[in-house]
Amino acid sequence: MKTGKQRALNVLMNVLLIIYAIFALFPLLWMLLISFKSDTEVFTTTFIFHPTLANYQQVLLRSDYARYIRDSLIVSGGAVLVSIIVGVPAAYALARYNFARKEELAFQILSYKFAPEILVVLPLFMIYQKLGLYDSYIGLIWVYQLISLPLLIWVVRGYFEDISVEIEYAAQVDGYTWYQIFFKMLVPLIKPGLVSSALLAFIFAWNSFTFPLILASSKVYPVTVAITKYLGTDSAHYGQLAVAATVSAIPAMVFALCIQKHLVRGLSFGAVKG
Amino acid sequence: MAGLTLEHLYKRYDNSGKKKKTVNDYAVKDLNLVCEQGEFIAFLGPSGCGKTTTLRMIAGLEEITQGNIYIGDRLVNNLHPKDRHIGLAFEDYAMYPPLNVYGNVAFNLRAKGVDKNEIDRRVREIAPLMQIDDLLDKMPVKLSGGQKQRVNIARAIIREPELLLMDEPLSHLDGKARQAMRVEIKRLINKIRCTTIYVTHDQLEAMSLADKIAIINFGVLQQFGTPTEVYDDPVNEFVASFIGEPPMNILETTIAKINDKFFFTFKDSNLQIAVPKRYYSVVQDGFRCKMGVRPMDVLVGGPDSDGTPEEIATFENLGDERRIGIHVGDVLLMLITEDEKRYKRGDIIKLEVREEKTHLFDIETGDRIREKQEA
Amino acid sequence: MARITLENIRKAFGKVQALDGISLDIKDNEFFVLFGPAGAGKTTILNCIAGITMPEEGTISFNGEIMNLIDPAHRNVAMVFENYALFPQMTVYDNMASALRSKLYREDEAVIKERIDKAARMMKMEKLLERLPSQLSNGQKQRVAMGRALVRTPNVFLMDEPLAHLDAKLRNSMRTELKEMQANLGSTCIYVTHDFMEAMALGDRIAIINKGKIVQIGSGDEIYYMPCNEFTAELMGDPQINIIPAEIYKSGSGYGAEMIVNGSKVRHELPEDKGVFAKIQERGLVKVDLGIRPQHIKYAFAPADGYFKTTVYSYESIGNKSVITAECGAYQLRMIAPNGLNVDIDSDIYIKLELDRSILFDPDSKKYLTRYDEEAIKSFAVKEVQ
Repeated sequence: MKTGKQRALNVLMNVLLIIYAIFALFPLLWMLLISFKSDTEVFTTTFIFHPTLANYQQVLLRSDYARYIRDSLIVSGGAVLVSIIVGVPAAYALARYNFARKEELAFQILSYKFAPEILVVLPLFMIYQKLGLYDSYIGLIWVYQLISLPLLIWVVRGYFEDISVEIEYAAQVDGYTWYQIFFKMLVPLIKPGLVSSALLAFIFAWNSFTFPLILASSKVYPVTVAITKYLGTDSAHYGQLAVAATVSAIPAMVFALCIQKHLVRGLSFGAVKG
Repeated sequence: MAGLTLEHLYKRYDNSGKKKKTVNDYAVKDLNLVCEQGEFIAFLGPSGCGKTTTLRMIAGLEEITQGNIYIGDRLVNNLHPKDRHIGLAFEDYAMYPPLNVYGNVAFNLRAKGVDKNEIDRRVREIAPLMQIDDLLDKMPVKLSGGQKQRVNIARAIIREPELLLMDEPLSHLDGKARQAMRVEIKRLINKIRCTTIYVTHDQLEAMSLADKIAIINFGVLQQFGTPTEVYDDPVNEFVASFIGEPPMNILETTIAKINDKFFFTFKDSNLQIAVPKRYYSVVQDGFRCKMGVRPMDVLVGGPDSDGTPEEIATFENLGDERRIGIHVGDVLLMLITEDEKRYKRGDIIKLEVREEKTHLFDIETGDRIREKQEA
Repeated sequence: MARITLENIRKAFGKVQALDGISLDIKDNEFFVLFGPAGAGKTTILNCIAGITMPEEGTISFNGEIMNLIDPAHRNVAMVFENYALFPQMTVYDNMASALRSKLYREDEAVIKERIDKAARMMKMEKLLERLPSQLSNGQKQRVAMGRALVRTPNVFLMDEPLAHLDAKLRNSMRTELKEMQANLGSTCIYVTHDFMEAMALGDRIAIINKGKIVQIGSGDEIYYMPCNEFTAELMGDPQINIIPAEIYKSGSGYGAEMIVNGSKVRHELPEDKGVFAKIQERGLVKVDLGIRPQHIKYAFAPADGYFKTTVYSYESIGNKSVITAECGAYQLRMIAPNGLNVDIDSDIYIKLELDRSILFDPDSKKYLTRYDEEAIKSFAVKEVQ
């Protein structure tokens, strides 16, 4: 009797999960379907249509799509790299040293994520123009720190705090210098947090739209902005738009799938358990 | 107030969701126990032995896989915890932080809709008993560990339960506070005479508090008896080594027959201990088993003692007593002495063993080997 | 191997004065115990010696050479941390090899293996070498932490409560094992603990630390039998020593002590002891605190000569023996009894104090005055350290 009740509960739970999965995945599926349709069929049919690769040919071979992807890779990858170089030592300092206004500083770093991008982007636009950073890789990498740095610092700081300071002492007493300890002992311990937060930061940077839209134009063209090109003023090539969107989503999805196990574990803190 | 009866109690956790099946998936296995009204029972065992699971089943917080639980004469298997008339005091204090101590103690009665004056009367009655009368206005965050635990117990007993259940209530306290609280609990239970089940992994707590101890390992009840019984007459090697500190010395031995007398002999050691006569019916020459003897029953002989000369491996002066360790093969045989002599490593002493206090255990199963009873 | 000297070490954390003028002279090859309650500053002393913490004042020297400005790596000390501080990503073997693979203390892999095997045998953990710290129990972690120190040949071993996180039984058996290894350490060792049994059993000498200051230094026996004040007396011994306030009166050629038991006065003749009587006379003592250890109180369940009546507060087993606590009004008396007695709470009990084993304290300053058999005890307890 009891097991029957439990089984019924299990079935119900699975049904609900399936419904949710359909709900969550449907927009993606829709996008994928559209990418194989010709423009005429976009609005006329749902599932039954004549699949065509014309959109893909148009986007991948006959436009600058590869360049957009490359730009995205450069700015997002660069942003994450800078974040790691700057963020890991910052996180270490926030975790280990006591100095005046430490918590305020940590909070300030986090607060960069609070302001809506649209709010800060206009003043930034003016500043960038004056500084000559407008429409440059460095400019975008710099501004992307607002997205990636706080995330990285906060996750990695938690990892450093979880490593008992005695481990560093023990290594010191064992005859190691601080740099050896940092790279031999500490970096392996923060790796799960570092990798997952870096990949998450990469995905966020990759998906960023407002900053590249306003702060870049012709020389730097990340893919999120480039997609809008397929929305012409007079006509909208929904098929091509769907292709561009699908392809640009691939890196993020691949990353997310690769790291999903680490992502959950890595972001829920806890380097030295057990 | 009422007694408690456990009949063929089983608990099996459903591991179907997990990939790894545990070998022993019964947390509690065929547990039978009768405790009389007003008895103080300790459930004792290493962590993960199923003692807390049993307690939770009695409380109704855990479903019973099989078997029956009676409180008094009532079968409570399917009763909701609140209808079982039990008081619970857990390891974590779990107090309601926004309420002061009075509010916390009264909470349960208020929830039941007991008359306000009656609540006040009962709180005032219990507060001095638990020595929390000065604390009634304080907030939980301001209390020390020992005080919290007192409030916690007061909360459990204010509903005048038929059965009081305590799960490691002292494990958060340190050394001295713990010892003091142990005495308090003992005096309190002595006063209210409530049937109490007390879960602990600390043999000392069980020995000092309980009327009877149920020793549990791997979900199976090993022995149920008074502290003296489990100490002097353990049923197996596990109980023998779990009870007592330092634990009983347990040594692998081969029985040798010399001049019509049996002796315990040990590998790589010249030590020989006479086998008590009462075991002659169960041993023979070459018989292998384990011998157990408590450190208190191993003695340092005087100058004209005929004990075996042995070299001291460790000597620990602990102030109140002194402990001596002797190598018997690769095992360290411990003995406790209160004489004032200061030995040092390497000294030779004459080792005497109170033979009549030795126990025999099966070398494979660890079960006690007893002398044959006359029919 | 080194002689460790600390001179007037002071260290504050914020407003808390953690160390308040600590001076120690620890001999070469000595096993020296720092003993005291939690928060006394014991670990801070150890950290100062290791170089992890910088003292604000005072000097630390190894063999006469001042080490204050030498970093931890170059001090050649081996430390066992309270929380073990094992490197979680390394196997037990690699953990133990860590120091011998560093630039400063590098050894050949063959030598490392030999030393680790030896330490592993000594610590009975040969089978654990390939495991990760997360796969070990607390007792095993403790062994690894100890093993990591033992593979080295340092100036000094520093051990910070290595047994504190083990349960009582394991702690006692590990202490015995440590005692067994002690002879093979071959170097100075400074051992921090808050467990008096560890202090007594292991220490060649013990320093009692409280609130950042040294209270007393001496051999275990010296501190146990001649504690310099009531604080020290209460630290050494479990159950704790009984402290009974008493008034001295003149009785014939000798003296007597009068104490209050449950509101009424009880008088005891003081047994004759030259030293004690001389002290009473010399200081004109009127009030004293009598310190009597629980094993020196006798009890009976029927009236007897020289016994006074009171009631049982509690009776509980502490392992191989039990403690009876008797209610005496302003204080309680603890005494040792065998297990398995049938003692009812609040029943009558008759008590006799073995005053000829007592220690006399000044009730105002709580300081040691004298004790019975002082000379005899001095002769075996006080060891001159060369």
